[in-house]
Order: sequence, then C-alpha cells, then structure tokens
Amino acid sequence: MKPPLIKCNDLTKVYKMGQSEVYALNGVSLEITKGEFVAIIGSSGSGKSTLMNMLGGLDKPSSGEIRINGENLGTMSGKKLARFRNATIGFVFQQFQLLPKKTAHKNVSLPLQYRRPKPDNIDVRVKKSLEMVGLADRATHRPTELSGGQQQRVAIARALAGSPQVLLADEPTGALDSKTSKAIMALLQDLNRQGITIIVITHEDEVAAYAERVIEFRDGKIISDHLQKAA
Amino acid sequence: MSPFTTLGLAASSLIERPLRTLLTSLGIIIGVAAVYAMLSIGEGTKREVEKQLSSMASRSFTIWPDWNRRRTSQSKPSFPFKESDVDEIRNIAGVFAATGSLQRNSTTISTEIGDTAANFLGVDPDYLKSGGQEMLAGENISYADIEQSAPVVVISDGIQKTLFKNQDPIGLSIKVNNIAFTVKGVTTAPDSNISFGGNADMFVWAPTSSARNRVIGGNPYVRNHIRSIRVIGDIGANFPKIEQEINIIMRRSRDIKTGAPPDYRIFSSRGWQERNAKSQKTISYLLAAMGAISLLVGGVGVMNIMLVSVTERTREIGLRMAMGAQKSDIMSQFLTEAILICVLSGLIGLGAGYGLSQISLGSEEIKMVFSPKIALLSFGSALLIGVIFGFLPARRAARLNPIEALRHE
Repeated sequence: MKPPLIKCNDLTKVYKMGQSEVYALNGVSLEITKGEFVAIIGSSGSGKSTLMNMLGGLDKPSSGEIRINGENLGTMSGKKLARFRNATIGFVFQQFQLLPKKTAHKNVSLPLQYRRPKPDNIDVRVKKSLEMVGLADRATHRPTELSGGQQQRVAIARALAGSPQVLLADEPTGALDSKTSKAIMALLQDLNRQGITIIVITHEDEVAAYAERVIEFRDGKIISDHLQKAA
Repeated sequence: MSPFTTLGLAASSLIERPLRTLLTSLGIIIGVAAVYAMLSIGEGTKREVEKQLSSMASRSFTIWPDWNRRRTSQSKPSFPFKESDVDEIRNIAGVFAATGSLQRNSTTISTEIGDTAANFLGVDPDYLKSGGQEMLAGENISYADIEQSAPVVVISDGIQKTLFKNQDPIGLSIKVNNIAFTVKGVTTAPDSNISFGGNADMFVWAPTSSARNRVIGGNPYVRNHIRSIRVIGDIGANFPKIEQEINIIMRRSRDIKTGAPPDYRIFSSRGWQERNAKSQKTISYLLAAMGAISLLVGGVGVMNIMLVSVTERTREIGLRMAMGAQKSDIMSQFLTEAILICVLSGLIGLGAGYGLSQISLGSEEIKMVFSPKIALLSFGSALLIGVIFGFLPARRAARLNPIEALRHE
C-alpha cells in the first residue's frame, strides 16, 4: 500500500459568531492516495469548501493536523504556504477566475511566473497544458473570446501548468450548462487516468458520479466515504 | 516573480487602462514641471544676480545734485560738486575709482563730412577706464590735458562711423557747438547700464577743464564745478559703508546741517538689482509651493487610483495568491505600478518643464537654467511620491485574505 498523499487527522475549524462558536469542520480525518479521483459532496454549509481551502493551503485548521506529501500545512509560514500552493496544488474555480485582459497563454502561465527559481521552459509547458485540454489553437485568445467551457478548460490548463501533485476543483461545472459540464468532467476523468490526483468539490450527484470515490459531508463531518465505479 | 516580470505586469496594467493612467499622471506631470521650473528659475536667478553684482555697473554709484530741490531758505539752485569732492571720495576705503564729469546733452558735433547731435562730457582720465570702455585707437585723456585745458577729445566709435566715415580720425579736427577740438582717441560707447537717453552711441569726451572753459561754461557759485561723480567700489566691497562715507563727505562739503535733507542724490543700480533678485526669489517660492501642492495632490490622486485598482482587482489578487504569489509579490506588483506611473509622469513633467524653460529663455524677466542636478531632484521627488503614495494601497493588496478575495464580487 502506497503512503497517503494527503492525510487529515481530526481537523476542526471554528468560527466565532459573536458569543457562539460555529464548527465549519468538526473532527474530520481522511486519507487520499496519489492518483485518486475523489468527489467531496455536501450541501452548502456542510464544510466541504472549508476542507478544500485547507487542502489548498489557503486556510489553516483550528486544531488537528493536515499533511500533504508529509508536510504539515498547519505549521507553515505564509511564505512557505505560498510556495506549497504554487508547486503542489492546482486550483480550478467555479467562476474560472481568468484574467480578462490577458490571453489564454498568459493566463495559463500564471503559476509558472510565481515559481522560484523561474523555469526557463514556461512557453513549452504552457503549450503542453493547453494541448492537454484541447485548446492549443486558442492560445492567443482572450477569455472574452472563448465560450464558458473553453474558459474552464483554460483554467484547468492553468492548474496543470505548474505540474501539481493535486488538482483541486471547486464546483468546476457550477457555471456551465449540462452538456459542457459533461465534457469538462470527462476531461478531468481523462487527466486522472494520466495519473493526476483530482479532488472535486460539488453538490451535484451527476458530477460526483465521475469520481472513483465519494466523500459526503454534512454539518462539518464526514457521513459517508465509499468507492464507486466511475461513470 | 522576477523584477523584470513585475515591471512588465505593472506596465501592462497601466496600458490596459489608458484614460485612467493619463488622468492619474496629470497631477504628477504638472507637479514635476512646476518643481523643475521653480528650481531652474531659482538657479537662473542666482547666476544672474552673481553676474550682475560682479559687473562694473552694479559696483558703481552715481552722485547727482538734486535738481528738484532748492537749497533751504536761500532759494538758490542746488550746487554742482567740486573737484575736491572727487578727490576725497577717491580716498574712501573700498573705492576702486572715483571720477567727476561735466555733461551737456544734445550738443552739435560737426566735421567736414557732416554733423550730428551727441552727448558731450568733460571727464578725467579715470572716467573712461572705470566705465569699462575700451580704447580702440589713439589715447585716453590725460591729467596734463586737464591742466593745460587742452582742446582735445576722445570720440565714441559711433561718432567715428558717422562723422569720419570710419577713416582714422586721430589728429583730425572736430567741432563741438562750433568750437574746434582735435581728436585724440576713439573708444567704445559706455555700456547700456548707464543711461544717457537718446544718442546712446554718440559721445564726445573732453578734459574737464577744456569742456568747462570752452563749451559748457563756469558756474556762478562753484569754481571748477563738476556735474556728477561716479564712484566704483572694489569687488566685494562693503557698499552700504561706502555710501555712508560718501554722505559724510558730501554733507560736510556742501555744509548741510545735521538732520537737514541732502541736496544731492546717490543712484545705484545695485539696489534695483537686489530688489529684482528678491522678486524672482518670491516667484520661485511661489512656484515651489505650487509644485509641492501639485505633487501632493497628484500623489493623493495616485493613491486614490491605486486603492480603487486594488478593490477592483481583489479577485485577481486572490487568484494570484492561490497560484502561489507571496505577499511580497503582490506588494511589489502594486508598488511598482504606482512608482512606474509616477516615474513616467515625472519624465513627461521634466520634458514639459524643460520646454517651459526653453520658452522662457527669450524673456528678460525670468531666467531659467537647465542642470542635471535640478532634473534629478525633480525626478526624484516624483519617484518619492510613487513610493510614499503607492505603499498603502500595495500593503492593502498584500494583506488581503485569498479566500475572501476570490469570492469578492
């Protein structure tokens, strides 16, 4: 058995709302192995987004431990966390979050611009990422000249450009129609088959159906965690 | 992120919003142009004043009897000066030269070739020397000429041109109001600081004695009278002190009672020049204030726009952080943007200031000087504004929480 890529141990996240305390996460423990395609589902407020922020190194737990690649994110400095995000995580957002005035090529190159030391083959890697999402011919287009599905593909290419260990997708189809959603999920599935670990956060069962493993959240806790035959 | 990439990022951000960039830069452009103009006017004034104060004209006093006054109860006209007054003044410490002269304007000078109106003066040998005039031919008037009341004259080159058709006039005869003199020398006309009104090129100088005896005539009250006295101080002399000593000598010589007003006047171009320098200094302070205010307002404008920009681009900042940008990356991105706009505006402002100074070169009142020091100083103030007013917005950007920034609408 391979050692887990991600290991969470009794994670809690507490928000203070006036006098009362709200548990966004309440004792979450889970392990994710390299190469898995995991869907984390739950309704809004279930804690799935909080977990995703923590896995992405954007947020720190109130207690508990989160280790990715053996490194404890909870004790990292802001600078180290930034490096971790840059090298280990690829983000895909619901609203794509592309820079509207930059070309697809520029958008995809973003993570590599923040890599230290600066890689000398940025252009090659950007082209390769765009090829992987089937948009090699759209490199010079701006987001406004692309369809929603194409924009999300550019965003996925951007997440891939930094060769991350994990691709974190937060409601990647939330802003897309069902046909485009299917194509995007198929793309993620395809990328997973090429060996990339993918974690998708969603509230839609159709999206979760593409994953091999589904973890369900409710009220800050895992209520089910099971493997399935992917669609 | 490398500094070069950061610079490119800042530049593209400015280019993507051209109108905003232009409007933001206007304040800085005007400010830097004003600062530049202020500094170069100040520098120009300083040099001009130094030049003027070291010139002969600014070191000289001219003493005239006060023609507008009558002498107390005796109701006699104001006396001319005596030759002995000149000798006394010459002995004051710090006096480089003192020379007395007689003058008759609008005399008719004639030769065989023609005639012209000219200024006729009786002078001593120091007069031409101390006026900064150059002998072009022949000799200056000598003390022997004065003693002998010799009928000789020195003429200006203007007279030579008009009445001798540029031929060598030395030894030739010339008539002053029909009285014959012999030309002894040719000199340049006095510089324009000493005003003679019309006929500024036409001068004839004779020894004081011969001018008095032959042309101008004596004075009923003063033997060997002198119409005016010119005093030249040494470079760097204590001019107020000299003026004070002249007053003592004149009051004693003219028997003016203590407390009574003088019946003569001392003219000095120095006071006028110093007042002029002062007023230019005032202009330059005014511009300094304007430049500083404009720079400040411009800087506030830059800060305002940068704050707007940070708010507008909150999601971009969140995204960049998620992609691995460190706080310092975000900080330098926005700081670079603010500095870049200020530096570019500073360059344009320098150009505008330089253009202004070129235009002003034609003007007599305002002197501007270009110097790298001034350029650097005004450019540096633009850079400083960029750093100061860019810091707060940049820090705000760097301190954003990426999760909230990404959700920002």
